[in-house]
Amino acid sequence: MSTKPRVGSAVAGEAPSFGTALAHQPGLAGAFGALYGTFWSKGALDHRTKEVTRMRNARVTDCGY
Amino acid sequence: MTWLEGAHGEHPFDAALGLRPDLRDLYRAFYGKLWDDHLAPAALLELCRLRVAQLHDCEAELAVRHAGAGVSEARVAALADWAASDRFDEAERAALAVAEKMPWRHHEITDAEYAELHARLGERGVVALTVAIALFDANCRLRLALDTEAVPAEVAAPASGAGPIH
Repeated sequence: MSTKPRVGSAVAGEAPSFGTALAHQPGLAGAFGALYGTFWSKGALDHRTKEVTRMRNARVTDCGY
Repeated sequence: MTWLEGAHGEHPFDAALGLRPDLRDLYRAFYGKLWDDHLAPAALLELCRLRVAQLHDCEAELAVRHAGAGVSEARVAALADWAASDRFDEAERAALAVAEKMPWRHHEITDAEYAELHARLGERGVVALTVAIALFDANCRLRLALDTEAVPAEVAAPASGAGPIH
């Protein structure tokens, strides 16, 4: 895995991160935010189930972020 | 045949997601933006979409062809061994190098491979293509997990905010 960001920040004054990298494509960033926000704020699954599966997925993919 | 009741018809993947209409509509808008807003060259997206589908052995994704992308069946046939083929230009090879590793070997993607992609597409292009490949990967996983039917189709675009997702 890289030790430095492969995409810079698109937000002046902010460090490279998932959000500031995605901001290079504002339309995509907005659409993702609407989808992911709805996933977390509404729905058929409780938050415990969502969080457990999110954490397990991060472990399986070895995603330290 | 999917085991999800109500997820059948002409567009079974879209119908499966449609069991949660609000999320399906938002996913259409997100995924469809790749083509609606022309965020990357259509041929590049198509090659990466099909290569990721090959790596997953995802029949349902492989059944779809983006008619306007201009990718010939001869090039699709060469995709499985793209690194040894002369049918792909430098930008396509840079994109396929990342697509090749995203599904199962994502930790093996190198800084040099991203530098090559950056040189070909620029930073905005790199972000668009990375999101695209991640979504191609996710869609194959969704299709396989939900066991949605393969429906052969040549389509104006694989997805659009106006729907459906093919």
